[in-house]
Amino acid sequence: MNIVQILLEAFWSGIAALGFALLFNVPRRTLFACFLFGAMGNTVKFMILHFGINIGFATLSGAALVGFLGVGFSKKLYAPPPVLSIPGIIPMIPGTFAYKAMIGILKIATGKLQTDPDLIRFTVLNGTQTMIILIAISIGIAIPNLLFARKKPVV
Amino acid sequence: MINDLKDKTSPVENLSREELTDVIDLALWAGQLLLQYGATSRRVEETVHQIGTALGCDWLDVLVSYNAITVSSNSGGDFRTKIRRVVNRGVNMTIVSAIYRLRDKILNHKLNRTQVRQELDRISHKQPIYNRWLIVIMIGLACAAFSRLFGGDWIAFGITFTAASIAMFTRQVLQKHYFNPLLITLATAFIATIITGLSIRLNLGTQPEIALAASVLLLIPGVPLVNSVIDVVRGYVVIGMARGIAGALITFAIALGMLLAMQLLGVSGL
Repeated sequence: MNIVQILLEAFWSGIAALGFALLFNVPRRTLFACFLFGAMGNTVKFMILHFGINIGFATLSGAALVGFLGVGFSKKLYAPPPVLSIPGIIPMIPGTFAYKAMIGILKIATGKLQTDPDLIRFTVLNGTQTMIILIAISIGIAIPNLLFARKKPVV
Repeated sequence: MINDLKDKTSPVENLSREELTDVIDLALWAGQLLLQYGATSRRVEETVHQIGTALGCDWLDVLVSYNAITVSSNSGGDFRTKIRRVVNRGVNMTIVSAIYRLRDKILNHKLNRTQVRQELDRISHKQPIYNRWLIVIMIGLACAAFSRLFGGDWIAFGITFTAASIAMFTRQVLQKHYFNPLLITLATAFIATIITGLSIRLNLGTQPEIALAASVLLLIPGVPLVNSVIDVVRGYVVIGMARGIAGALITFAIALGMLLAMQLLGVSGL
């Protein structure tokens, strides 16, 4: 994996985050941050994956980075942390895993199991991957709050 | 507990019944906007509580559920309870951001209730910042970017861009006519897959499965799914589960739309 590949990977991740940032109607002044955080988070994930570490930990690290960046730049950009971190984690969302699991369920329901014995493995694998990645993302962006910004509950 | 607080901070005037009604109304309004546009339950509960107490209540108890917020406000011995319905309107970070800033203003500069009402009215009437065509193009690009990340070539990029843009446009049109969200998702996934499926039938490119996989990603309910897990982790188990099921249903609708389109065209790419 050379530097050009990494930069391209980062660029496309950033574009994905930016597209969804527009859909989520984020304030204009935060657009560049959304692009950058999306690029950085997903690149960290890819690099950790590249070292052969599993996808759960890789995603957790990427999302934690985005979470910290969101908290860190929240004052400067005058926006609450989720506005910055939610578009940033979009490139990591396990979209294909999620609907592939559902497609697997639908295929099992329509009796494709006889012709395709691998279907259950396919469905369970995609389903569990979806859940693990989602949990990793959620814990990741919550890490700054869970570990550092602890305070006595307001309510 | 409430009486203890009162003694320490006395002299505090108790709110009249009308004032209590007004405060609960404002706090609920802010909470409704937050929940409606994609905040997590803990944020909603905290913000409603902080706004209510900053405006003069002794205490507020907030129950956040999937499609309603219930609040009881206390002042002296008096209390009032109100429920407000919340409908899911997707994610709008500008409104979420504006509500947090309003909360900070209330906590710092002590806005009065009339000013808070004016602000909330202004926030809830905010127009979308970005032009709908810009969103169509950018969502098309975002999905096409995913096709690059999956290792697709430029032909797959082009097909994904076309399919996702047209799908996004369809989704906007259907949303304008208030169709059921699940139905919108199904129809949009169907159209995106029809376009990518046609490109398979026409033998365009060598990586049809990548365009097929990337062009429906605009529909994935990322924010509800992530919020669902965060809610459960934070102890809001019931609403977390509800959000998770809603997200799973949307995903199911995507899969159904794709399968219908693939069967119709007789292609199988996944």
